[in-house]
Amino acid sequence: MSLLEVDDVHSYYGESHVLRGVSLSVDRGETVALIGRNGVGKTTTLRSVLQLTPPRRGTVTYDGTDVTGRPTHEVARMGVGWVPEDRRMFSHLTVDENVRIATPPDGDVGAAFETVYGAFPELEDHRDREAGDLSGGQQQMVAIARGLVGGNETLLVDEPSEGLAPQIVEAVADALSAVAAEATVLLVEQNFPLAMDLADRFYLLDQGTVVASGSTEGVTREDETIRRYLSA
Amino acid sequence: MTAVAAVETVPLFAPVDVGIRAVSKAALYVVIASGLSLIFGLMGVLNFAHGSLTMIGAYLGGAVMVATVSAGTGGVARFVLFFLAAAAVFGLLTGIGAAVEVALIRPIYDREPLFQILLTFGLVLVLDEAARIVVELAGLQPQTEWQDAIGTAPAFLGARYDILGVDTRWGLYAFEALVGLAVVVAILLFLGETRYGLYIRAGSEDAEMAQALGIDIRRAFTVVFGVGAGLAGLAGVLLMWDPRFGASVPLSVETLLVAFIVVIVGGLGSFKGTVVAGVLVGVVDALMSWLFINVVDFPGLPELVLFAVLVTVLVVRPKGLLGVAEVGGH
Repeated sequence: MSLLEVDDVHSYYGESHVLRGVSLSVDRGETVALIGRNGVGKTTTLRSVLQLTPPRRGTVTYDGTDVTGRPTHEVARMGVGWVPEDRRMFSHLTVDENVRIATPPDGDVGAAFETVYGAFPELEDHRDREAGDLSGGQQQMVAIARGLVGGNETLLVDEPSEGLAPQIVEAVADALSAVAAEATVLLVEQNFPLAMDLADRFYLLDQGTVVASGSTEGVTREDETIRRYLSA
Repeated sequence: MTAVAAVETVPLFAPVDVGIRAVSKAALYVVIASGLSLIFGLMGVLNFAHGSLTMIGAYLGGAVMVATVSAGTGGVARFVLFFLAAAAVFGLLTGIGAAVEVALIRPIYDREPLFQILLTFGLVLVLDEAARIVVELAGLQPQTEWQDAIGTAPAFLGARYDILGVDTRWGLYAFEALVGLAVVVAILLFLGETRYGLYIRAGSEDAEMAQALGIDIRRAFTVVFGVGAGLAGLAGVLLMWDPRFGASVPLSVETLLVAFIVVIVGGLGSFKGTVVAGVLVGVVDALMSWLFINVVDFPGLPELVLFAVLVTVLVVRPKGLLGVAEVGGH
């Protein structure tokens, strides 16, 4: 059984039917990319896994437990971290506080600091700065770091390269690559080469459904299916 | 009285007079507004019942003091009883506030903010009428300050002293300033040094992200609503001894207006903003009150200027002085 299973999920924003029967699975230790054009339901799929946008139909199973309809904080405490699209820093909290808040009440804050500053040494010089004052790349590192602490086994990563300068994207890609070696990752990424580089498998979404899936090995943007669904 | 003629009679030590009144009013306003600020900041809930809880706190605190203080009770014992009454009222209203959040507010989180406004406004009507009935049954006049409760203050607080050429209630004002300072320090320690404080600061910025980090935001809402209600009651206990306020049913509306002005001027989601705005509003209020008494014959001057400050902030800086979200955008 896969660590994460999404089965025939239908999710809505109000009356807008966004996910129309999405099914996918992610095995333990795997990195899986969700690709597709803007507005096809990639972010909503991540939100539905976390129950931030609870599915009206279908089920989400994590580590053998049906989490559909459960409160988001319970899903998060099962070991699911979220690195959201626009980073969503607590801008008035310091970097240390952003890490501390992600550590469970019974967790080891010292160990969390070690994990974060070990993975991102650049952040250590900015521990006492408010996160809102950091550069975009540094904020992305804090966002990834926040998802890592607390013993999270799975990371839902949404558009980590969005809005970043190319050299920063490279640093973030290196960081994600290191994370992917240790954790299970479900990645939403518009940067096609980056997504294919990081992921083991992919799911291609269009109009709220999965239209293709498979191994990322050898897949290029020129492939017929990819071209049809990713071209503007 | 004309303004020109009156200016000639301004006391030499007017700045001292205004200063001590400003310090005490600033402290009172910060305490009055702090609970509303925490609730508004984290939950985005406009708790119109905040003033009613302050009024109930004043009556409950007064009742404890009237029941326990006799003519022979010494000054120190009265202080001790005051703090015990304050702790009891804080605890009781914290519990009631938490129960109200679970039973009444929680079921309507998913609805428009208008529902929360209507619900808490309904609570104002119920609580104020209930207080009026109980107070009248107790043989008290609900519209005027409860003099028996004011009379339980130690002589040091009730007396006027002539210091630096200013004849005023130095003891009471200094006491209010010290209690206000202690409340501010306690809240800052709670927000800055405790896990729940961290949750509140984070949740004020982005409650959804906080949930995604494993924080049970609903439980945090219950705790904050309870603590906010407890702080409203604590403010009432503090006002119960002050002849400018005192326990009365209209105290409900009086304190609610001040609390809203302070929270909006300070900025939603920022307790530090509330403290800064409380001081600003306290100084403006004390200055305008002094001008009304000594210079300008216009009773509505303090309220007029305070609302002018509120309107100016809303137009020029809708986030308030130190706010993290615009009014109406939270």
